Amino acid sequence: MSTDSTIAAGSPPGTRRASRLRPFLRPQIIGGSVVVLLWLLVIVLAGVLAPHDPMAASGPRLQAPSGAHWLGTDTLGRDVFSRMLYGARQSIPLAVLTLVISVVVGSLVGAIAGYFGGILDALVMRLADIVMAFPSILLAMAVTAALGPGLWHAFIAIVIVWWPIYARLMRGQVLSLKEREHVTAARAIGLGPWKTLFKHIVPHSLTPVIVSATIDLGTVIIMIASLSFLGLGALPPSPEWGAMITEGASNFYQWWIATGPGVAMVSIVLAVNFLGDGLRDVLDVKTRTR
Amino acid sequence: MQHKTLFAHRPIRRGRRTLGAAAAALALMALAACSAPAASSSGGDSGEIILGRSMDVSTLDPERSLCDSCQIYNGAVYDTLLAATTADGDLQPLLAQKWEANDDNTEFTFHLDPDAVFSDGSPVEAKDVKWSFERLANLKGDPSYFMAGVKEVAAPDAATVVVTTDAPNSAFFNVVTAGYTGIINSDVAIENGATADKDAAKTDKAEQWFLKNSAGAGQYVLTSYEEGSQLVLSENKNYWGDDKPNFKKVVIKDVPDASTQLQQLQQGDIDVAMQLSFDTLDQVKSDESLTSEVVPTYNYVYLGISPGAADAPKALDDKRVREALRKAIDYDTVIDATVAGQGSKQASAIPNGFEGSDGLDVPTYDPEGAKALLAEAGASNLKLEATYPTFTIYGVNFSTMFQSIQQSMKKAGIELTLNPLDYTAWGTKFGAGELPLTAVYFAPDHPDAVQYFQYFSLAKGASWLGYSGLSENTRETKGVAKALTETGDARAATYSELGQDMIDDAIILPVVNPQVILAGGSNVSGNNYHVTRNIDLRQLKFTD
Repeated sequence: MSTDSTIAAGSPPGTRRASRLRPFLRPQIIGGSVVVLLWLLVIVLAGVLAPHDPMAASGPRLQAPSGAHWLGTDTLGRDVFSRMLYGARQSIPLAVLTLVISVVVGSLVGAIAGYFGGILDALVMRLADIVMAFPSILLAMAVTAALGPGLWHAFIAIVIVWWPIYARLMRGQVLSLKEREHVTAARAIGLGPWKTLFKHIVPHSLTPVIVSATIDLGTVIIMIASLSFLGLGALPPSPEWGAMITEGASNFYQWWIATGPGVAMVSIVLAVNFLGDGLRDVLDVKTRTR
Repeated sequence: MQHKTLFAHRPIRRGRRTLGAAAAALALMALAACSAPAASSSGGDSGEIILGRSMDVSTLDPERSLCDSCQIYNGAVYDTLLAATTADGDLQPLLAQKWEANDDNTEFTFHLDPDAVFSDGSPVEAKDVKWSFERLANLKGDPSYFMAGVKEVAAPDAATVVVTTDAPNSAFFNVVTAGYTGIINSDVAIENGATADKDAAKTDKAEQWFLKNSAGAGQYVLTSYEEGSQLVLSENKNYWGDDKPNFKKVVIKDVPDASTQLQQLQQGDIDVAMQLSFDTLDQVKSDESLTSEVVPTYNYVYLGISPGAADAPKALDDKRVREALRKAIDYDTVIDATVAGQGSKQASAIPNGFEGSDGLDVPTYDPEGAKALLAEAGASNLKLEATYPTFTIYGVNFSTMFQSIQQSMKKAGIELTLNPLDYTAWGTKFGAGELPLTAVYFAPDHPDAVQYFQYFSLAKGASWLGYSGLSENTRETKGVAKALTETGDARAATYSELGQDMIDDAIILPVVNPQVILAGGSNVSGNNYHVTRNIDLRQLKFTD
């Protein structure tokens, strides 16, 4: 792996921009980024790109793909292609938001627990252990079932099952960094614990968390879709991918209903996984322990 | 069967069904992966038939049960005094070979068939009938209303039963064709904790026993039941009737998903698929290894309105607003979207073909008319939330149905938001009358239309009088009492008037009366839709 990792060693100042970028120019990262960018474009331009209203019938029901309906129509005669495009607006931003919140909450909790240790650390980590002891999809299902179906409830449920991953990761980083010389030095010159933590430890611990989050993005997209597939996420008539696949599952002779959103989901999940793997390789983050 | 019971009974099931969706997806993959279809599983030789259906069983105690699958089970295991014919519900003898009523329909006499014996070989006697009817009433369970108004059940001798009622009840002979009124072997049941005493609701301990055993005089006996898996019946070797069971073993396999039912039928894993989707009708018809027929049913799906619900918009109190909702449903489009057009519109809560349904006007889609009514009632821009269970019944997917209704209501200026709930959560709220607008289903329990007034009208004691939160419609209360004193054309006319009264109440808005696909392997004959049993196993046969 690359040796000019910015974190572990701290790259020497003045390195030329091109050489800093070069490690990132690998097929995994480029390919992943292109697909992700395409989907970002779809999210922004869904209204322009979609040939039909995703919510209203635009033709006879259950039509096979044709010139008028590229991916056919569903049980209510809505255009599957248009719904698939609009579906990106639901799944992807929500997955990103879910991750951001999980990362923020998890990192904060993990950093504080790791730095201060003691009973607080024990309590927080046991709580994290308890949450992680459950299969995540099952726990998320239980939480959404209790809250009632809805995308926001799915969001809350996934944050609840997801924060411990980052809390653990961050805690581990903080534990290994807090005895480093620069931290000892900071403390020696009289810096308070909070400042030491957030100025000298957390910034250097973020990379593995962010790489981990990138890789997890695909999983979270699938989780949101799974909850919707089970009827616990998106509410009809919302064009959420998981919900669309449910519809396709009960009409499997009309293969096109589930195929569009299925392929869309596979493409974005693969892309973010490639991107995440590539970033991990470049940034030389130790293989995650989960 | 009906929902009103479902939540009481089926809670545990719904959660499982949600998981079932995931399981179905996995099953799909598994099916796709295995390329060699099994040879037809069963046949005339083995005498074992496998039916696939989404099961809604939660108890196998016939006097506690009330569900579509229970109708099949009760019908197969617990013979009733009388039976209804498959198509038109005419009365036929079963345990009772003769029956008569007094002139004012308050006293009903049944003469038991001397040949009739239970599965253990002991005779079916009047005391068993008396005990069964009393237990049915005293358990105060979901099906207890069949015994409503029964004053006394007497057994003057071992072969004669006399039932007297408080008020005239010309529907009573029809009522005793319902599987829930099946006769139980009282000696065996009492030995195992059952009781018919007044306090049976508290003291009867036999529900668990009934999950593993049966004590009826029907063609089959219970072998085993595994929730979420299968119900296995075997031939009653002591069956007393002339028509011996057609199968040594009947397996009812729980296959929640319609597409999985078709897959399994095509692979020969099941012999009869009971709930196929009309969207697969072409595939079914073009498959030469299958037999299929599309027949009408008396089942229907309806929207129910509860103006009395706590968070119901005030506007729903106004009959004109409820009438506007009826006009704001694009019935043809909904029927097309839910059952591929294989269903009928229905005028009132009396299903098409039942006494009293003739001559009532079916609703039509009239968004402009709906708008005008709403404006008149000062309720333009009406906003409503529909809360419904996430499932499919009679081929009707509630989510698809409501999305279609949502679109049609939009054209009438009504903004409908959808709130699908897990079945259990929905059932609790529905039972408490908390849902301003919902959708429910109903299949007849016996061949008399009076059940529809007892359930859907605003007459005294009717279930929907409670759910709707409205006040009693005394005209309907009187109408029901009057109808039960009448017979023949006079009664049909009264039923019809009651049907119109229910239309005017605008509480129950029937959306679709779906047909059903009877589908089976090519070696299956006599597949049928039975008015009170869903399927009558007596007619089902293997041809080879």
